[in-house]
Amino acid sequence: MTQLSRREFAALAAGAAVSPLAIGLSPAQAASITAQELIDRIRAQIGVAWKPETVDGVKAGEPTTVVTGIVTTALASLSVLQQAVKAGANVVIASQPVFYAKADARTPPARRGPGGPAGPGGSPPAGASQAPAAAAAPAEPPPADAVFTAKNAFIDQHKLVVIRLSDHWRLREPDPLAQGLGAAMGWTSLQVAGNPRRYDVPALTVAALVAALEKKLGANGGLRVVGDPKTNVRRIGILPGSTAIQASLELLPSVDAIVGGEVREWESVEYARDVVAAGGKKALILVGRIVSEEPGMRVCADWLKTIAPGLPVRHIAAGDPYWRPA
Amino acid sequence: MKAGEIVDRIKQQLGVPWRDATYRDTFKSGGPETEVTGIATTCFVTLDVIKRASAAGLNLIIPHEDTFWNDRDDSAIVERDPLYQEKRALLTAKNIAVFRIHDHMHAQRPDFTYVGSARAVGLDPKHEDPPGSHRFVIPETTLAALAADVKKRTGARALRVVGDPKAKVSRIRLGVGYASPPIDAPDVDVLISGEQQESDGTFDSQPYALDAATLGIVKGLILLGHTVSEEAGMLEMAQWIKSFVPEVSVQLIKAEEPMWGPAPR
Repeated sequence: MTQLSRREFAALAAGAAVSPLAIGLSPAQAASITAQELIDRIRAQIGVAWKPETVDGVKAGEPTTVVTGIVTTALASLSVLQQAVKAGANVVIASQPVFYAKADARTPPARRGPGGPAGPGGSPPAGASQAPAAAAAPAEPPPADAVFTAKNAFIDQHKLVVIRLSDHWRLREPDPLAQGLGAAMGWTSLQVAGNPRRYDVPALTVAALVAALEKKLGANGGLRVVGDPKTNVRRIGILPGSTAIQASLELLPSVDAIVGGEVREWESVEYARDVVAAGGKKALILVGRIVSEEPGMRVCADWLKTIAPGLPVRHIAAGDPYWRPA
Repeated sequence: MKAGEIVDRIKQQLGVPWRDATYRDTFKSGGPETEVTGIATTCFVTLDVIKRASAAGLNLIIPHEDTFWNDRDDSAIVERDPLYQEKRALLTAKNIAVFRIHDHMHAQRPDFTYVGSARAVGLDPKHEDPPGSHRFVIPETTLAALAADVKKRTGARALRVVGDPKAKVSRIRLGVGYASPPIDAPDVDVLISGEQQESDGTFDSQPYALDAATLGIVKGLILLGHTVSEEAGMLEMAQWIKSFVPEVSVQLIKAEEPMWGPAPR
């Protein structure tokens, strides 16, 4: 993703009938809503009852901040925050946590100090390879963490507001993450029975599908495949985000290939391997959770334009976090 | 000899008390009365592993991981899928017993998953400091060179890396399977592990390593994949079982890496 200049960002904002800049107002003056008012509009218009327990909400910054521009993204990485600031935006809306954990606290999680015994590690669901919990070492105050410190400092310095929008966005109908992924692949007109998770595409090999996914989703080292590259596929099912075995059991029997984000390897990867071994001419293609949710956050940017007219809104892809050596 | 006798010997030899509360380390097919012709260790009881084990005359499969695509091997989740019935039928037809060893393998010392993984990725025990810590200090290299070496040694086609390829690294933390230790420990340059969810965990190492790279802070994450990470140690498991079950053949029948990845662009 190339970085945008303020001018380019303003030009993008000019999609509205009257650009705030064209009438001599800053975007903030034109719309003049606070981050909290933006959240209130999201809650009122998202079409999903707001959950009492949710990961969604402000993760950093002051809700009273007047919004100058909005960037949506799958991951509010430091790089995305930097690009947002360059583009003149001060609100970033992401589908993943900002501070490296579901708890999403601005300080590192308290746990054993350096050199301490390894606990079971980062795996809230009972992982297949989770070691029996070791006796927890006494919690020590976490040492200063340069990554947390720098990200917090950047957010504070630029008076950013970083919002997570995940639980409610993925419950919207039709599923904007699936819809977005289908659209990014150019498959919208090939959707089956109004189901944004199903597309019947002209037959192509798994290898060709993989190449198209790399090109159109920006998938790189994170892309992994179960199945023969030469297998022909036509019926595609998509599972953005992180999904459990139940989703694959439900979908794979009726499609030739699943394009998914992230699964647990001991579940869907092994299931797909057995399906292929049993003679199924099928494939499971994983692009990674972040990459798989990016198009859905582009859809989010388009939607936000409708509920916050006049405000510059755009999507910035975080990119594939992974690379693979030759 | 019967499968139950072999399991009893495993429990006796383990060196740590057997926890009957485990839902993982139980029979998934067959049972204590199954007459054993030979033993296969593996990471996953795939359809292919079943066929190869049976062809080799081995009818007790001892996997580290689940058989029916969910950690609890809960049939209620999978029984509506015809492939579940097919897999069950194949196990029955070949008279194969499956006894999983997971929790107790990780509780055992040494934990063979770490021993095998260190061997597979080329971490020399003489560099482990302190011994048994899964922390290795190796001669300084770059993340790119380390990742390329690990890929070559393991043959892992779907290996994934996060971090600056040019970062100079020497302090390696080894994790196994899904039990990845968090990458933010100040005394760790690179975490090598099996599988890790990208976000919404108790600590998300991928986004952290990505931001560290943006800041020029040295952090690398090498994800081998679950099978590549944990299957190597099933060789040690086979050798260990062989040492107290001399009556039958004991072999590693590899499930092998299930995935491939396209060549880097």
